[in-house]
Amino acid sequence: MKDFRELENEIKKASDKFTNIESINEFRIKFLGKKGIISLEMKGLASLSGEQRKQHAEKLNKIKDSVLEIIASKTEELNSEELEKKLNSETLDITLSTSKSYGTIHPISQVIEEVITIFGDLDFFVAEGPEVETDYNNFTALNTSEHHPARQMHDTFYVETETDGMPNVLRTHTSPVQIRSMLKQKPPIRLIAPGKTFRCDNDQTHSPMFHQVEGLVIDQESNMSHLKGCLEIFLKTFFETDKLNMRFRPSHFPFTEPSAEVDIGYTKKGNQLIIGEGEDWLEILGCGMVHPNVLENVNINSDEYQGYAFGMGIERLAMLKYGISDLRTFFDSDLRWNKHYGFSPLNIPSIIGDLS
Amino acid sequence: MKFSYSWLTEHLKTNANFEEIEKKLTSIGLEVDDIQDTGKLYQDFIVGQVLEEKKHPNADKLKLCKVDIGKEKVDVVCGAPNVEKGMKVVYAPVGSTIPVNQMKIKAAKIRGVESYGMMCSEYELGISNEHDGIIRLEEKETIGRSFSEIYGSNDIVIEIGITPNRQDCLGVKGIARDLASAGMGELLERKIFREKGRFNSPIKIEIQDNKICSAFAGRYFRNVKNTESPEWLKNKLKSIGLRPISALVDITNFVMYDENRPLHVYDADKIDGKIIVRAANDGERFLALDEKSYQLKNGMCVIADEKKVLGLGGIMGGESTGCSTETTNVLLESALFDEINTAKTGRNLSILSDARYRFERGIDPNSTLKGIDLATQLILEICGGECSEVELAGSIKENKNEVSTSSSYISRRLGFEVSDKELRSILSSLGIETNQKGDVIKCSIPSWRQDIHGEADISEEVIRIKGYENIPTSNIRLKSKINQNILNYAQKKLVKARHFIASIGYDELVTFSFTDSKNCEVFGDINKLKIVNPISEELNILRPNLLPNLLHAIKKNMNRNFDSFSIFEIGSQYRSTSPEDQLNIVCGIKSGIKTEKSWKNNQTEFDIYDVKQDVTSLIDHLMPGNKKISISNECPSWYHPGRSGSIIINNSVVAGYFGELHPRVASQFKIKNRTNIFELYLDKLPNTEKKTTNKPVLNLSEFQIVTRDFAFVIDKKVKGEEVVTSAFKVDKELIRNVEIFDLFEDDSLGNDKKSIAIKVTLQSNEKTLAENDISEISSKIIKSVEKSTSGTVRS
Repeated sequence: MKDFRELENEIKKASDKFTNIESINEFRIKFLGKKGIISLEMKGLASLSGEQRKQHAEKLNKIKDSVLEIIASKTEELNSEELEKKLNSETLDITLSTSKSYGTIHPISQVIEEVITIFGDLDFFVAEGPEVETDYNNFTALNTSEHHPARQMHDTFYVETETDGMPNVLRTHTSPVQIRSMLKQKPPIRLIAPGKTFRCDNDQTHSPMFHQVEGLVIDQESNMSHLKGCLEIFLKTFFETDKLNMRFRPSHFPFTEPSAEVDIGYTKKGNQLIIGEGEDWLEILGCGMVHPNVLENVNINSDEYQGYAFGMGIERLAMLKYGISDLRTFFDSDLRWNKHYGFSPLNIPSIIGDLS
Repeated sequence: MKFSYSWLTEHLKTNANFEEIEKKLTSIGLEVDDIQDTGKLYQDFIVGQVLEEKKHPNADKLKLCKVDIGKEKVDVVCGAPNVEKGMKVVYAPVGSTIPVNQMKIKAAKIRGVESYGMMCSEYELGISNEHDGIIRLEEKETIGRSFSEIYGSNDIVIEIGITPNRQDCLGVKGIARDLASAGMGELLERKIFREKGRFNSPIKIEIQDNKICSAFAGRYFRNVKNTESPEWLKNKLKSIGLRPISALVDITNFVMYDENRPLHVYDADKIDGKIIVRAANDGERFLALDEKSYQLKNGMCVIADEKKVLGLGGIMGGESTGCSTETTNVLLESALFDEINTAKTGRNLSILSDARYRFERGIDPNSTLKGIDLATQLILEICGGECSEVELAGSIKENKNEVSTSSSYISRRLGFEVSDKELRSILSSLGIETNQKGDVIKCSIPSWRQDIHGEADISEEVIRIKGYENIPTSNIRLKSKINQNILNYAQKKLVKARHFIASIGYDELVTFSFTDSKNCEVFGDINKLKIVNPISEELNILRPNLLPNLLHAIKKNMNRNFDSFSIFEIGSQYRSTSPEDQLNIVCGIKSGIKTEKSWKNNQTEFDIYDVKQDVTSLIDHLMPGNKKISISNECPSWYHPGRSGSIIINNSVVAGYFGELHPRVASQFKIKNRTNIFELYLDKLPNTEKKTTNKPVLNLSEFQIVTRDFAFVIDKKVKGEEVVTSAFKVDKELIRNVEIFDLFEDDSLGNDKKSIAIKVTLQSNEKTLAENDISEISSKIIKSVEKSTSGTVRS
């Protein structure tokens, strides 16, 4: 019987010299290639007979298996060495970065969207009106006749166009949207109207342009206690607090009767305002029961229908909630300010996200 | 409206302490704006006397004074022009705080000389606006005495905001009456002696137009001495910030603030003939007590004599009949002027006066004669002399308002049950007499409440006195939803656009709706956009476009060292100042550095392809699904003509523009960088409100995808898009995509030529494409492109 020891030695010797994948390949060809040593031996089996062929075949198959195993394990070994080398050469300085790519949402937009989200949940819809208004919609229809002293408190901007012989104005409040909406739609009505408003006033605490949100509810039963309930839910949700001291006190607006101004409690901790609790009061909005004259002006029967209205300043809400101290900075377009006070564009106030 | 606590208690008998009164005032709608405890405010200030006064060695306008303040003599450097030896002054010692600016007085060297404390003007103490000189106290004041004992008699001064409807509270008595109604005590009636008069007034009164003045009561006084007012009267006026002038003037001011009854006194010797109340003639001139001359207009209410205008009714008296210390005979006026006429005249002539303020809000007609009586009593007491009978022209109509209401109406409006009994008791406390028949309660409104006209007004009175804190809170959630969208399609577009644009790197700005007409001609017709009374010349028109303010913003931020801008605004721009000429626009700008030079990148700058990409992605975001966006060359004149395009949707609507800002416009706004802008007219985007929530059917082919590249040499003028569309139209089924991947310009092609290379992606839904299928379609593509671009394929 043939001794394959020589073959086994040769295999062992060759397998010690592996340095890369090519040498493994050469090794495979040398022993298992078409003309490889083992292949030739296999062919030689045909000339043998009987028991001898069987014994040789067994032996050769064993040797072949061992060669395959050597190839597999050496390949694996070399691959992982290769990878290790690659990994070592591929380190990056992870402390470096490229610049950020998101922009920002202006605080006015953010607050308006928050307000819409809260009132939307209470079944209000969003109404709109133009920023240039007729004198009639801005004043007269709202029970503010031409010589009403309240008009002088408004510091109205006038433009050169006229409607029905009266110069048009830049709306001094969002209340004319009440008139436009009630002329279009019969009660029940539940609306809010956020938007730009204008007054001819420019100093530390006044800007010639600012934003308000108007609210209007008209049906057969809404009353002062609903108004109080409505504003309480709104303010608590908006300021994201469970505790909110709220104070109604009498005031006067020509288009509501009774009229009220609403204060909320606050305390000061250092430079920070804590909204909700405390002995001090901040004026936050004006409201009241819609004056019957206003309803009659839009052909709604004031014996059958009644309701409430409110209006508040968006900038004021933003300043109190987000600790912005100067009104005029909102429109100053100082990018340092916008980047600091702006909001992430991907956080849209909604029930599946946060309010702010 | 200012008043002192002691003045209030002359009208109100109360057991309440000051804090309770203060709270109640706000809770009944008389909002407390400010409280000043003059006792505390002035307790540190003391009476001093200037012993010596000489020039400051180092400053011409300053003086060195030695001031005796009782316990010691101090050196004070003083800049007041009126300081002189012997003068009694108000001295603010080191450590005291100046009321007007909260400045704490410290010992300091002024121009090299030590100064201890300060001598004060009325302005510095918050007494008046007088700041030309320091206060000269009377000779008799004792050195070292606290100023609070002299001034304001340790009183508390309260300032309340009066809403336009509450004319009744423009006098201290009215405030007391409202507090008494709200349970804070009892209203005290002043005892006024009604003087009959000893003779007929020699000055007759004629009202020619009773629409502008319904009543005019006059009383003649002779042999009066218009002296200085007594201390009590001066102190009262000073406590509320009024300057005492002379007894006659002070008395009319007192009656106005006490009873809310404006009066006027004329020097009777300067009146020619009778008093005539009439409408002014156009162009008539009048010199008022404020020393200004006014040109009057037809219809304004004037008080005249037979020769001249003496006063503007309800607004201001005139110089010609003003009272001086020499005055001996006077005519006292108490009249009823029309509210609207007074308001119009006052506004027209821009005169603000206490009288106007009161008349345009409405005056209690019953105060006409009461005012005469109170003033008469004070004039006779202080100035002596004797008075005539009251001469009354016109008539005092009481015009009592009657309002009918019911407890059910009030309850329905307020949201809680108010009984008949409670309702009537509250109304009665306000002086409103009631009379009930069945459910109807008839209310008779007192003459001092000019603001109560209807049932709604009654509901306010009820809750005001009952207290707004007693309004319960009711739930407003609806049992069934109102079937209305919170935001409509157009409103949602705005929100979506805002978040999308910000998410791709733009910062949102909100700028004014006004802008400077300068440099804006290019954007619109500025003559149609004028604001009549702009806040400043730089904000004199409504913006015809969002760009001007955004460009100003870029310029401003460049000065703050920013060199990369991605900003946008969503808002309205205007075609004219008519309400319907307002458009909703998104305007974005990318300018300056896109990527900073860094360890990773070379510096690159924004170009028009950035904004094109952004605005077309925005349209995709706003209108997902089927639409065709094409680009045309025509752009408004503020765009660079060779680097801009308009965006056309479905071959019909121009929805916006993108491109580089025209260099001329850029230089007008002083911007040097290339500025890339887009504008999208949100209102013009076709409505794609979904009819179904289902998405279109998706057909996926399992067969192999093949790509082929082609390059064409074409004229530079021909747009790349032409190559793409002409390739696409060859086979809409097999051609899945056509994309330009190379643009090459070189003299070797000819200087008016360029090479454009496209990659065409092919796939069939039915089979794997064979080589002959592909070559067939390839030659069709070449033919089609060559035909429509007049170009040639490069081989």
